[in-house]
Amino acid sequence: MSGPKADFVYPLRVQYCGNCSLPIEYCEYYPEYEKCKHWLERNLPTEFEKVKLEDAAADSGGGEDEKKRQKRGGKGMLKTKKKEDVPKLVTVSRAPRGKKKSVTVVTGLSTFDIDLKVAAKFFGSKFACGSSVTGDDEIVIQGDVKDDLYDVIPEKWPQIDEDSIDDLGDQKR
Amino acid sequence: MFKKFDEKDSISGVQQLKSSVQKGIRSKLLELYPHLESYIDQIIPKKDSFRIVKCHDHIEIMVNSAGELLFFHQREGPWMPTLKLLHKYPFFLPIQQVDKGAIRFVLSGANIMCPGLTSPGAQMTAAAKGTVVAVMAEGKQHALAVGMTSLSTDDIAKINKGVGVENCHYLNDGLWQMKAVK
Ligand SMILES: [Zn+2]
Repeated sequence: MSGPKADFVYPLRVQYCGNCSLPIEYCEYYPEYEKCKHWLERNLPTEFEKVKLEDAAADSGGGEDEKKRQKRGGKGMLKTKKKEDVPKLVTVSRAPRGKKKSVTVVTGLSTFDIDLKVAAKFFGSKFACGSSVTGDDEIVIQGDVKDDLYDVIPEKWPQIDEDSIDDLGDQKR
Repeated sequence: MFKKFDEKDSISGVQQLKSSVQKGIRSKLLELYPHLESYIDQIIPKKDSFRIVKCHDHIEIMVNSAGELLFFHQREGPWMPTLKLLHKYPFFLPIQQVDKGAIRFVLSGANIMCPGLTSPGAQMTAAAKGTVVAVMAEGKQHALAVGMTSLSTDDIAKINKGVGVENCHYLNDGLWQMKAVK
């Protein structure tokens, strides 16, 4: 393109799809286009109406258009996101640390798209103790705070309700 | 470049950028993309601090203090914008438009073949070999890939065979899916 256009204000804001993350005009290439449409219908009803119209047009007069296109070999298809249907569940458990003390292990926060580093820091300051990210989706809090977590987690992240926090009890290390 | 990229496995480290290095990148970007002149202060404010995410295969990604991914490059290659940045400032790369039939191939990571750039639905902007280009598509408003020409556009039209534009970064690849870097 030949430079910025005078009648635009940059940065432009492109509308991305909440389901597939692409600009919504590319949703039709996503394998789960139906899910995208549901998202559109709920979140951007005006865009959804446009898509419906286009679909209808494609159904009636699209056949000929399709024939004109050069046919190509190979299977060009988008892959769905890997993380698709990971169950959203947080687990908490207690593990011994030394003879007298225990630590609390929290897993599953990232299934709710929570940044683990931020979460670990939050726990640390909330309970005034050490807290760190120890694995792929694991945080260890230095201290026995398991029972408090049922209140603290839903309060901090409203998208997690108490029922999606699973108590694994006492774990051996 | 990012077909098999996964932010969990492919990142080897994050580094603060020295201000001298930052200045260097800034002037390189302006040299490469003169149209950025009036917007470079928006994209790379002088007072903001930047980081470099080092990845496998000698790929580096430049990130601002908010964690947004801005530019990337491989080895000594030119800095290229991420699609998210390009969507915000879509005017600084020459556009190569592919026809509708090529879209799904580009989105699966394939390089752009010459015929997809010369058919009736396609459109090219003159560019030399090795130019960083925005790959757009017939009937669409937004870029679907960032690539580098493997031939000059004249040669693409003339030879009309093989790879015309190398697909470096496309919608929904590992870089697109990578979250902001905290
Ligand atoms: Zn979508």
